[in-house]
Amino acid sequence: MHKKSGLDRAAAIAAQPEALVMDLKRQSGRPVIGYLCCFAPPEIISAAGAIPYRITGRPGEPTAEADAYMEPYGCTYVRNVFTQGLKGRLDFMDGLVISHSCDMIQRLYGIWTYYHPLSYSRLFNVPHQVTPWAGRFFKRELDFFKESLEQFTGQAVTDERLREEIALTNRNRALIRDLYRYRLENPPLLKGSEMLSLLLAGGWLPSGDFNVLLTEALAEVKKRAPDRPARPRILVWGSLLDNIAFYQMIEEAGGDVVADDTCIGFRLFEKDIDLSGDLNEGLKDHYFVDFQCPRTDRGPGSGRFEYILERAREYNVDGIVSYIISFCDPHKFDYPDLRDYLKEAALPMLLIDDNYSFAPAGTIQTRLEAFTELLAR
Amino acid sequence: MSSSEMKRAKRHLETTRKMKDMLPRFFMRMFERRFSNDPLAWCMVGVPPELLKAFDLLWEWPENFGTICASRLVAPDFIKVAEGDGYSPELCTYVTNTMGYCKRWIDSGEFPEESPMPGGMGNPSMLLGSGFLCEPRYKWFQAIATRFVDVPVYSSDPLAPPWDVDPHDPRITAHYKDLLREDLHGQVEFLERHTGRKLDLGELREIMALSHKALAYWRDTLYLRQAVPCPMGSTDYFSAIIPQMYMVGEEEAVDFYREMYLEVKDRVERKVGIVEEEKYRLIWFGLPPWFNLGFFNYLESFGAVFAIESTYNVGDWFEVELDDPLEAIVERAWVRAVKMHEYGTEAMPELCNPAVFGGFVGSDMLDEAVEQYHLDGAVMHLTRSCRAVSFGEVHTRNRLAKIGVPSLIFESDMADPRLWSDAQIKTRVHAFIETLAGRNQAGK
Repeated sequence: MHKKSGLDRAAAIAAQPEALVMDLKRQSGRPVIGYLCCFAPPEIISAAGAIPYRITGRPGEPTAEADAYMEPYGCTYVRNVFTQGLKGRLDFMDGLVISHSCDMIQRLYGIWTYYHPLSYSRLFNVPHQVTPWAGRFFKRELDFFKESLEQFTGQAVTDERLREEIALTNRNRALIRDLYRYRLENPPLLKGSEMLSLLLAGGWLPSGDFNVLLTEALAEVKKRAPDRPARPRILVWGSLLDNIAFYQMIEEAGGDVVADDTCIGFRLFEKDIDLSGDLNEGLKDHYFVDFQCPRTDRGPGSGRFEYILERAREYNVDGIVSYIISFCDPHKFDYPDLRDYLKEAALPMLLIDDNYSFAPAGTIQTRLEAFTELLAR
Repeated sequence: MSSSEMKRAKRHLETTRKMKDMLPRFFMRMFERRFSNDPLAWCMVGVPPELLKAFDLLWEWPENFGTICASRLVAPDFIKVAEGDGYSPELCTYVTNTMGYCKRWIDSGEFPEESPMPGGMGNPSMLLGSGFLCEPRYKWFQAIATRFVDVPVYSSDPLAPPWDVDPHDPRITAHYKDLLREDLHGQVEFLERHTGRKLDLGELREIMALSHKALAYWRDTLYLRQAVPCPMGSTDYFSAIIPQMYMVGEEEAVDFYREMYLEVKDRVERKVGIVEEEKYRLIWFGLPPWFNLGFFNYLESFGAVFAIESTYNVGDWFEVELDDPLEAIVERAWVRAVKMHEYGTEAMPELCNPAVFGGFVGSDMLDEAVEQYHLDGAVMHLTRSCRAVSFGEVHTRNRLAKIGVPSLIFESDMADPRLWSDAQIKTRVHAFIETLAGRNQAGK
């Protein structure tokens, strides 16, 4: 049987991430620490000798089990992820790290750890304002995070170990940036759904293995040549997308997702973590100061969206699809400002307001088709 | 919803009834000063009102404006405008009320005539937001300054330790207090820059002393509600929070709370309750439906009274050393957070409020409250547009169920009466009252 490699392997991993991490755990004997959101550096988890595992939901699955512990009015992604835990699907996790990203994720931490205590759990607290004192708080939080992990795993997070881990993830970042360049082509040589599939695999694979996967994918993509006419080029902005289904819907609707600004996307990989000085300084800049999540207040004015327009221009984007999960306050607050800003830049935007189910699929598909048709004119 | 279902509150205390005179006087005083063109700040709860007073700053509180618009049933007019501008109906209706108000004001160049306050909210020269409790409270001001008024913004950013971290660990204490302190100093520097005035620490100390004097009377008043029959209900409580939030540091607030304390004490001594026959004693969780505070009177018609409320609770932890008044603000926020933390804050981790009040959040505190206030049940308002306050109600219900106390959770909103379903809510209230009655009969 032909052994899968590169893009096919990424898709296979995405179909069963739990199996992959359980194998890793069995083989290595190391504990698995699940994490949500992108503020607590997974490099520190690895440097402490544990296996970081990016927790994802299962879009569209009922979340009725969560009703016994949390309110119906709340982020459907949070409810979905919590339901995975309640169903025992995350029982392989020895620990849980939740960053104080948005209100709901922060609140999830208390409820989860109260009803389902784990051997290790940590809320990584994150300020909302980007001030010098917030930066100092973030760096102290990094130290507390390291200490807590050291106590759990018994392995010291030395600068040397952490530097090695960051060097590996920086290599991930460089390869991902290389892959993104193939999306600058028209038509793009790498589909948005393929790219997301690779990025998702990076949340489950050890960084070294992820480098192998990315290298394989890069080799495959390099061999590709344009085989179809160009289609409307789309940037997806918005709430967390941890499943390729939505990008596939856009592709089926006749558009190409060539760029993104979502949690699991370019924002995590556009720059390396600076290794030239104090590691905490580099981690703070990467995971807090430069990390573009609307939960962080970057002050008033449309200037806070400039990077989106720059990215849209760099990738020669025709239109923006805004994907916002129900009750996602940070994105819902930014939507009217961003919509108006993009309108001034003559960049069309479509809002898809979804309850983390991509349903009703027919309705969403029709709206995406209408949008791509508009862009194609 | 029909507006005929909405009832204004009937208050039981003379002191709160007199607020009808006091509050307009307070708001008019601010209104008249606006014409001096002095700096005016729109403020978010979480900004210490004592600090504003020390800067002699004119202020408006859009959250409070939301409650007033709600109580006058004009909030939907503004909320609809904001929704038409792209703001989701899921967003906090205090926010959408303000955003709609601002849009009407900026588009027409005149203050909207629906505004329940004469002349609406004054034209701000700065915005003072806060990250205390929820993210809408800084995203809101970010959006106002982006869309409507190009003025400087300072949003304070207090954080609190999660429920499973020991706040008594000196390193953790320093970690969080350093953030609180540096943030407060940043706020003071901002205010000095934009008012052109230097903070007078002596004046701030005096204001805080006055503030804490008023709050001590208020706190003691609330403890008196442990008495049977309960001398004061929620309609009085939710009226009387206004001086606590916006008028502390004023002699008038001290007088108000002193008078209220004496009145409630007298009722306790004379065993005067708020209903003829007090059958059920309850705890209220969540924000009230400001457009229908008569709902509390409706419950009273069944002999059900609220002896304690979870929101805006002043608590018992503000009497701190005032030598360094800025450090006192840090200390009182921290002391309160630690105290709440000791009671368990798994459901409501946002605790550090540089202003003096906050939620009644500690889940172990429920056990004490049930005993001290002789509670039979809990009513929780699940506000669709304010998840920050209503999140944790299911958990609280679970915690209360463990000690045999039943809860009713009903859904609506704090400002948007369109989300009030009178028949549905009353049906649920009837069923809950029957449960309580059954338990009384069974001697539980």
